[in-house]
Amino acid sequence: MDESTPQQPAAPTKRILCIEDEHFISELYAHSLGKAGYDVKVVFDGLEGFNEAKTNAYDIILLDLMIPSMLGIDILKRLRAEVPDLRAKIIITTNLEQTKEHRKQIEDQADGYVIKAEITPRQLVDFLSHVA
Amino acid sequence: MDHFTRLKRQISQYIMAMLLLNGGLIVAGWWITNHVLQTSAALSLLILTSLVIIVSLVFARAVTQYVIEPVRMLWQAILHVSPGHVQVPAPNLQTAKVGRELISSLALQVYQLASTSTKPAEDSQLDRAASTMIGSLPLPFFAVDKNQVIVYANDTAAKYVGIVLGDLIGKNLYATLDLAFPSTDTLDTWLADAKAKTLTSSHAWEHVRLKLPNRPETLQFDMAAYYNKENPANVETMLVLFDHTKRYAQADDENSTLELAVHELRTPVTLLRGYIEVFDEELKGKLDPQMAGFMQKMQASAGQLSTFISNILNVARIEANQLILQLHEDNWDSIVQAAAHDLNLRAQIHRKIIEYTPTPDLPTVAVDRVSIYEVLSNLLDNAVKYSPDGQKILLQTAVTNDGSVETTIQDFGQGIPTNVLQHLFEKYARNYHNQKQVSGTGLGLYLSKAIVSAHGGNIWVRSKEGQGTTVGFTVQPYSKLAGELKNSDNKDIVRGAYGWIKNHSLYRK
Repeated sequence: MDESTPQQPAAPTKRILCIEDEHFISELYAHSLGKAGYDVKVVFDGLEGFNEAKTNAYDIILLDLMIPSMLGIDILKRLRAEVPDLRAKIIITTNLEQTKEHRKQIEDQADGYVIKAEITPRQLVDFLSHVA
Repeated sequence: MDHFTRLKRQISQYIMAMLLLNGGLIVAGWWITNHVLQTSAALSLLILTSLVIIVSLVFARAVTQYVIEPVRMLWQAILHVSPGHVQVPAPNLQTAKVGRELISSLALQVYQLASTSTKPAEDSQLDRAASTMIGSLPLPFFAVDKNQVIVYANDTAAKYVGIVLGDLIGKNLYATLDLAFPSTDTLDTWLADAKAKTLTSSHAWEHVRLKLPNRPETLQFDMAAYYNKENPANVETMLVLFDHTKRYAQADDENSTLELAVHELRTPVTLLRGYIEVFDEELKGKLDPQMAGFMQKMQASAGQLSTFISNILNVARIEANQLILQLHEDNWDSIVQAAAHDLNLRAQIHRKIIEYTPTPDLPTVAVDRVSIYEVLSNLLDNAVKYSPDGQKILLQTAVTNDGSVETTIQDFGQGIPTNVLQHLFEKYARNYHNQKQVSGTGLGLYLSKAIVSAHGGNIWVRSKEGQGTTVGFTVQPYSKLAGELKNSDNKDIVRGAYGWIKNHSLYRK
């Protein structure tokens, strides 16, 4: 965390699915993660993101919680229930504070959690380099 | 030996001791005047007479104080139960120096006599009237005996908790009603204290919560209690509840609104910080020094805004008793280093530098990494704000005598006036000297104190006007809380300053 230089992921290129409806944020993440060597696919809709995560292989899924058509928490629960051998690490990226129940569910089922306002794209790259 | 004989003996012993001491002093005075000072016989006599008068006066006063104390306590006990003197508190019998047993037994008899002093006919009439009044009281009312078994509850109480009256009576209060209090001041602690120290006591609590298995919502209320030791009616404690479920739920809703507002504020802050960073990277080396400085200031300000938003939310949570910390074993040096690194960016803009001196072999600590990072960030930010440009800020760690890990932050700024120092950890407290020159909300220290206290640590400040300020706080070593923490259900989650990763060795050092 205290290293300031982004760490390049090792070859082959790692794939990230970014489920994020805030266009500016997804654009920013796609830019920074792309520059760090990741192959990034952005999906703006919850249901579409869920189907994409189910059908294609990714190394990391960045999952926003407040997204249209299917909430992030439901995507997380359904992915865990329906794809037990999911390869991707699921990292919750949110700016919303959690209720006690949601917090417990996230801690049980997700692989990581970040508050977007408290992490810059460079810190996110550093963070993800330790995830997968 | 009965209580009276014991009191008599105690008083005789006191008087004997005083007389012996008095005699000893006189002999010593006589010896000093004759052998050391070698004064004339007349002067010796004068000195001795004065000594005898003074010493006797002092001793007489001390003996009277002891002898009269039981009488004073008994008098206070009588006044306490006399009509028209209800404001006189019951005497604290534990403080009695002589005759504690006798006076306790007499006071108990006074209380019992007072509670049964009405005539029998009137008594039963009064009983019936009181019973009817309590029965129709529109407030939930419970009476429990000395084993905390519910001996009486009114209909309102049964309806309120949704349990049939017959099922309530005879049950243990704690087993039936799982009351949650906002602080360590609970019914249980108050009752234990009252039982140990007094014969009667009363207390009130605000915002007590009660979750019942048969009800979807959590009941929220204020509660008042009265304790009466050895009550002849077998009622030791009485409880009255004042329902505020709606009002407190509204306050919770206000918090949800705040959380939503925080979410909305965080989105533009995320973007601001992100785009500034992209610009910073893309334009590195292409900007002239002034523009590069502007960029750095913009970056630091966006970071500060992000901290501020989290502070507001955390203060609201503290006030609603909703700040939940999860303590884990962590390496203190890595957290302090991360905070020093992040805050140095802000410091460098003002040509200040945070100098961190690590202490080798610090024990691992039990902390909630996200929250304790906020404490470090707030304290370092204050030091940056309140010290003059070009000055150092010293950041140090140490192990205290009791084994806690202490961190101190020292600046060489203008210091804090004494009248401000005492209110420093209160909400919105700010140094008035600086209000016009330095931006801030006065929430940082208030929040830091709450977070440090929740970690079981202490926070302190030492300051001298014109010489600077040192703020320090302690956290507990992990070994002290290890047993308790191992029982928690999410020990594998390791938190970072801006999030957490499960089961990762990066943050587990």
